Parts: sequence; structure tokens; C-alpha cells
Amino acid sequence: MGSRSLFWSRLVVLAALVLVFASVSVADAQTPKRGGTLRVAYGNEISGLDFHTTPGYEMIWVATNVGCGLVTLGPDGKFFPDAAESWQISSDGLLYTFKLRKNVLFHDGTKLDAAAVKFNIDKIMDPNYGSSVRPFYQAVHSVEILDPSTVQIRLKHPYAFMMHMLAAYRMGLVFYSPAALQKYSAEDRKAGKPEAEASCGPFKLVEWVKGNQLVMDRFDKYFEPGVPYLDRVIIRTIKDPVTQMAAFKAGEVDFIVDFSADHVDTLKGQNPSAQILTGKEATPMVAMMKVTVPADGKPKSKERKPHPIFGDVKIRKAIGCYGIDRKEIVKIAFKGKATPWAGMIPPGTEDTADVTSACPYDPAKAKALLAEVGYGPQKPLTFEILTNTDKAIFNVIATVIKEQLARIGVNTNIRLVDKVTWLNGPVAGDAPFDMYIEDLAALLVVDQNLYLSATTAAWNSARHTDTKVDEFYARYASELDPAKRKAIAKDFQEFSVDKLYWNTISGSPFYEIAQPWMKGFVYQAEFKVRYRTVWLDK
Amino acid sequence: MRVYVLKRLIEIVPTVLAITFVVFVMMRSIPGDPVVALLGDGYTEEDAVRVRAEYGLDKPLIVQYGIWLAKLARGDWGRSILSGRPVLQDVVIRLPVTIELIVLSMGVALAISIPAAIIGALRQNTWADYTATTVAMIGVSIPEFFIGVLLLLVFSIGLGGLLPSSGWVYLPGTCPSMVCGVSIWGNMQHVLMPAFALGVARAALLTRILRASMLEVVRTEYVTTARAKGLSERPVVLKHALKNALIPTVTVMGLQVGFLIGGAIVVETLFAMPGLGTFGIDAIIARDYQQVQGFALITAIAFVVINLLVDLTYTFLDPRIRYA
Repeated sequence: MGSRSLFWSRLVVLAALVLVFASVSVADAQTPKRGGTLRVAYGNEISGLDFHTTPGYEMIWVATNVGCGLVTLGPDGKFFPDAAESWQISSDGLLYTFKLRKNVLFHDGTKLDAAAVKFNIDKIMDPNYGSSVRPFYQAVHSVEILDPSTVQIRLKHPYAFMMHMLAAYRMGLVFYSPAALQKYSAEDRKAGKPEAEASCGPFKLVEWVKGNQLVMDRFDKYFEPGVPYLDRVIIRTIKDPVTQMAAFKAGEVDFIVDFSADHVDTLKGQNPSAQILTGKEATPMVAMMKVTVPADGKPKSKERKPHPIFGDVKIRKAIGCYGIDRKEIVKIAFKGKATPWAGMIPPGTEDTADVTSACPYDPAKAKALLAEVGYGPQKPLTFEILTNTDKAIFNVIATVIKEQLARIGVNTNIRLVDKVTWLNGPVAGDAPFDMYIEDLAALLVVDQNLYLSATTAAWNSARHTDTKVDEFYARYASELDPAKRKAIAKDFQEFSVDKLYWNTISGSPFYEIAQPWMKGFVYQAEFKVRYRTVWLDK
Repeated sequence: MRVYVLKRLIEIVPTVLAITFVVFVMMRSIPGDPVVALLGDGYTEEDAVRVRAEYGLDKPLIVQYGIWLAKLARGDWGRSILSGRPVLQDVVIRLPVTIELIVLSMGVALAISIPAAIIGALRQNTWADYTATTVAMIGVSIPEFFIGVLLLLVFSIGLGGLLPSSGWVYLPGTCPSMVCGVSIWGNMQHVLMPAFALGVARAALLTRILRASMLEVVRTEYVTTARAKGLSERPVVLKHALKNALIPTVTVMGLQVGFLIGGAIVVETLFAMPGLGTFGIDAIIARDYQQVQGFALITAIAFVVINLLVDLTYTFLDPRIRYA
């Protein structure tokens, strides 16, 4: 063999070895590594930690890691076993039977069995317990223990979203150890006392020092073997997006939850290897118009009369439908990172229907409608747009709408209030307003919007009184055939865009930002932020 | 002197009570209460009435204040309505962070203002004086958050994470929880940018006041006498002139504590520090009445006590001052 051929054969062997080692290292990179601390930044403070009563997404994102329930939701909308290994639904849709895993332990060492499931659901349904998720359980008649590992939920009437509700309405059903629930008070749970937070999730709460950090550690007796991979998760609040970006760039945080959409491009420019996680928008950005006001002047009175401006559907359509250029709003306020949308159900929600074409930007038509009801150059329409300080984008949208409406001769004044004033006044308090800008709750399914828009809903801030809306919700929630349900949802959204009791501008995008070394995370928008399968490749 | 101090300490009580009462009334006068936020989207009118009664929010204002005072007298600062955490516990955890920030920012202010004012006064109308005056003007004009953002962009992003952008590392022995970063060096790294952002504006103000005061003092007869006695310039300036010129500056420093607490709210929020400033602003935004009262109480006490200390400092700076 000549030296030349020897050289080539050695080169081939070397190349083969390089390939073998490269494939080994790729395989290594794909194999989850155990250990490490994940450092997470939230944009808002956690308000409290009672999973059954405290509101707020930040609490939910803790509950989905510390807690476990019967079932959970995957990114594709399918249900997966959690503490229940299997389930059966009776053909009439009234009985839900769950077979529990036998190895589920709470963080206090007690066992999760059928009695614990019944204890938790009964507690939630008890009006004296004060659970904020109690309205979701209206269809539940009773919970029965069939044997220590089988539990049956009986419904009063068929409810198509029972599984959705158990898996993901807010954080879904989250269990507490009955022993802990009896021993510790609601104040202890709200305050995040670790012993009081005994649930059955992959992580257990170590401490919560409000304003500083929340620490949770791997629960070694978690029922699913091998997970979680992380030793610890530390959550801090960094409110300012500039500081969030600086912390991310410096590698001080691994993961940012709910990152501001208008800073995404800047962050991407600074960190080309960052993982930008987003999906279809499940939260609606609305320009809500008030439809009725109290006839007797008393807030929340059942005696209603039309709002002096937006009580008239022609004005609602002139302003909300034809007078607002949704595409321009998205271009300016969201830098193009949202979907212009007119339907009451946002683009990322199940059974949504695109009815935006029913509301094209048409200033001439808007002017004509306004003229029909007596508004024009001689008598210009003037109203107030209310925004709040929760997100800067609300003010940008209000300003763009003000400019757009000025083009059709409508004068608007923008009033800025803080979030609590907005919540207490226009939303829950029936306080006078003309229009407000907000992004409301993320919606997994149409049914969830019932709590914000049915005539009886406390948060029906438009205060419309059309019971046809309630009928749509009732028909939709009781229809067990998905195809028929979809058709009802479409009819409902067409009805809604015609009446404009609910005026959507666009979807509201949700962003999560991860360092390149954070692996195994599954994006599920606002609904679930879980670290169960996350591992660090560093 | 002892009588004077005692008298001032007694005066603190009505002053602090008056402040807390004003804050109490003001908080309840602004729209909104924490109940709607507490109940979230599960809000119903019945639940709201129940929760208001549970927290005594349905009682007359003066009764609510009386209940708060009675609890305070027993050492109970109340619990946060939203988080359920004891207010005193949170104040105790957060106070050291803010004290360190304020002390160091005042240190930064003095470290800049004293040399700048001395140079400005001794070399009046020279380029050094103009430079010091101009820098002082710029410092007064730039708000803390702007300086903070600039520092973040330069030292945390621009220089590849030279200084940490957020969070806190505790000094040894001060960790308030089970899981803390503890290191002197780490603490210094974390506090440097916030203290500088907060201190620069104070430095600018103190430079202007101290310079004006120094200009007056260096022309007095006792300074001329000290020089005539053959003292070198260093003791003349530092021992005779500066000590006397400091009196108005110290007065302003005491008054600046209030502004520093206000500035701490901005700086702590920007640098995500677990201090009293973020505690106060979060409480106000959420209408968490118990926390707001705790914040008002501690800041009022701090302000009044520091100003008492300032008054006592006068006797050290000028032995002619006597308190009867």
C-alpha cells in the first residue's frame, strides 16, 4: 500500500471517527440531563398562593408545577393522565369515572386516593370555602367514591367542557392534601407557607419571599418516574422589560414568562440564539363599548336603559366595526405581531371563527351610519376612551383609535386610570364608561368566555342584557357532538359581530423567551407553564 | 440635651400618627379596593360583600383606623389582604435592602459632591468650577430611572454583564430566607448601579449647596486668620472651612431622605430589588391597605428619626449650637 493510499485510508477512518463522535454528542445533547437550577423571571408579582382562591396567571404558573389534578392538557388540546391513569365518560355525558394511579403522594407524604379527590371537589363547591373556581363546577351534582382508587363525578346535565374545566380552566383542578387543607388556614396557603402547599406536583414549594423570590425543589416521590429533571426552580419578578433583557443577555435568567411583544425584536437582536416561543393568540384585545347603564342610576341595578351613545347598535357598528382600522392598530401597536380580529373569540381558541370580514375598515360607511343617527360635522360625536396602566400597549392602541376616529369626525378623550380602579369601576362595579381598551382572559374554549360576557356574569362589563347570548353559551356547552358545537360557535360569533356587544380588535400575543440551553419545555401559551420535562444543556 | 432629645422623641409619636392617618384616609379616598382583585374572575357581588366584611372594610373609616391602631399597639402590623403575609415580617425582610441602598447612595452623593464643591469654591470661575457646576446641573436634570437604564445598557448589556442587572445578594448574616445568595462582593456588585443611579441626583444638589456655602465660609475672618497663622491649605479647607460649610448641607441631606425613599421606589423597581420601595409601590397599586399603612409607618418613622439625628449632628459640626 503506497503512502498516498495510506493517507486517504487514514483520512477516511478519521472522518468516520469524527462522525461517530459527532453523532454521540448529538445523542448526548438530546438525552435529558438531571440536575441544575432553572432561573425564571415573571413580569408581575405573584399575588398569593392559595391555588383554590387566589387569582392571577403568576399563581397559576406556580400551581401547574406544585400541583397535580386528575387530568392535564397537552399542547395539541388533547387530555393526558395526571393523577388519574384513565377515565371513562358515560354515553349520556353525565358520569365521569376516573381510575387513579396507585403511587400518587402529596408533598406531606399522605396518599392521594378517591377520598382526597372527593374532599377537594366538595371543598371547592362549598360556598363558605370561597373558592374563586366554584362557578366552573355548576354542572357538578356530586362526587362518589367507588373504591379507594376510583372516583366518579356525576353531573346535573351534560357539560361538553367538563374535561377542559378539570384540566385547564385557570389552572384546572389542583389537589391539596386533605390533611394539610384541614390543618392550615386559607391565610397560610395564600401566604405560601410551604407545609400548607402540600400538593402532588413534580415540584414542592420551598419558600416564597414576596418581592424577592419563589423557590421550588424537585419532589423525589413524584408519581412519574424519572421526572422532573431539574433540582430547583427559582422564580423572581423583574417588571421592567429593559431589565429583563439585560438579565437575559447577561445570563442571569434562563427563562422569561410573558415577555412584552414590542421588545421581542430588540431581544432577538441582542440574543440571536434565544428561543422565542409563541403561538396563536388565545387572549382577545378589546375596545369594549358599554351597552346599557342603570335606569335608576344605581350601579349594578337590574333596571337598565341603553347607554347614551353605544346603546345604539348603529353607533357601535360605526365606531367598533367600520371606524376602526384593525390592521393599522396591529401594525403600529404590535409591530405586526398580532392578528387583526373582530370575532369575540380570539384566533387561538378552539372553535373560533374568523368573522373579521364582517367588520372591514370603511370610514365612509361609518360616517353614513353616524349621519343616520344624527351625528356629523354639525354635531360631532364625542366620547371617552378609558385605558389603564397595566400595559403600555393599551395607551398606544387608544391613541391610534383616537386618530382613526378623528378621520371620521369623531372626537375622543383618553383617560388613564390604574388597574385596580379599572377593575373596580368599569369591570365589576358597573361604573360609567364609554369604551375601554384591555386584553382580557386567555380562552381555551368559547365556554370560558361565559364568565365575562353572559348577561348574569359579574364581569359582563358591557352590561348587555341580551339573553340570546346566554342561550348560545348554554347550547354550546351542552352539545356533545364536536361538529355541531363548532357550528353553534360560528353562529354565535356571527351574531356577536353583528350586535357588537363585545368588540375585539385583535389577538394579544403571548411570548416566552428561553436561553438556548433550556431544553424540553413545551409552549402552551398562558394556560400551562410547566417545568416537569425541562432540563438544562450546559 | 437629654431633655431636648426626649422631647423630640415624644414629638415623633403624634407626627407619625398624623402621617399614617392622612395616608389611611387618602388610600380609601381613591377609587377601588383590593376585593375585586382578590376575587379575580370568580367575583360575585355576594362574595365581595362577604370579603369586605371579613376584612372590616365595610366599617366606618374612623373605626377601621382605630382597629389598625389598636392592633399596632399590640405589635400587630396586620396581614396583607392579597397575599395573607404578615406586614411586619415583610417590612423587616425588605428594610435592610433599602437602608443599604439609601446609605450607599448618600455615600455616592457625598463622594462626588464634597470634592466637586471644594474645587468649585476654591477655584471659582475657572474651568474646574464650570465643569463641577455643569455636571451638577446635568445630575439634577436627569431622573433616576434614566440614569439607571443608561447604566444597565452600558454595564449589564454593553460590557457583557460586567455588573448584574437585577436581583440581590445579601451581606453575610442578613439573609432573610432559606435560599439566598450571600457574599460581600456579590452584594457590592448588585448595589453599585442602583446606588449610583440614586446618588447622582443627590450629588448634584449637594454640590450646588455645599459650593455656595463654601464660597461664603472661605471668605470669613476665621479662615483668613487660620491662613495668617501659617496653617497649610489642607487643614484650613478641611478642618475650618468645610466643617462649618457642612451645616446647611447636612440639613438638606436630612430632607433628602424623603426623596431617597421616593427614588428607591423607582430604582428598586428598575433593578428588581427586594426592598421597601417595591413593597410600597406594589401595595399602593394593589390597594393593599395593610401593606400601605406599614410602608407609611416605617417611612414616616425613618424620616422623622433621621431628621432628629441631623439636628443632633449640628452640635458636632458647630459646638456653639446648644439644645436646651
